[in-house]
Amino acid sequence: MEIIHVLFNITVLALIVNTGLSLYGVFARPSLVKKIIALSIFSDTINLIVVLIGFRHAEPNPVPPILISVPPTKEDIITFMQKAVDPVPQALVLTAIVIGLAVTLYLMFLTIQIYRIYGTTDVRKIAKLKG
Amino acid sequence: MITLEVYYLLMAVATVLSTVATYFAVIERDLVKAAIFSALQSSFYALIFYLLMAPDIFLTYVPVSVGLYTALVLILIKKTERYEGE
Repeated sequence: MEIIHVLFNITVLALIVNTGLSLYGVFARPSLVKKIIALSIFSDTINLIVVLIGFRHAEPNPVPPILISVPPTKEDIITFMQKAVDPVPQALVLTAIVIGLAVTLYLMFLTIQIYRIYGTTDVRKIAKLKG
Repeated sequence: MITLEVYYLLMAVATVLSTVATYFAVIERDLVKAAIFSALQSSFYALIFYLLMAPDIFLTYVPVSVGLYTALVLILIKKTERYEGE
């Protein structure tokens, strides 16, 4: 039981480090393309943390929240209640992935338009321009 | 028979490797290499989604975030600049 706790803590710590690294990429790197890459890493990390909150420990192993037989028998429902992980964060994350793709596409078109007008994607050079 | 410790070990190794990939994706000045490191990080995240018992998210995440997203970033780099901070 101890080694499982240590490994799970390593997982959570590495995800928090990922969040910090991607926020550094969004705020401190000059290129707009690099900002878009870091923003997608940030949103993926948050999605993963949300799914990780819905995860739970079960013996001998947790199962996906899927009912195979329709209508479910009593044994199926008992197994679902005892072993299945939480399905609500998974449904929310599935929506968030698709919405994140749409937002990223919008930012990419903005970046292409900025490059067409100003001739650069460096925010330090864009900030110095007038007009 | 795979024991439960192996699941948690794979999860920890995948998150640590994704942290390494994220570091190189943020630090790298060549944006094509940064996009490839980002795809590597997304692959590790897909593995973690599978280990967290979310197979539907795994099936959505692999084509969107590893394939489609990387292709879009490469098209964006082709239309703009390749190196950041000249």
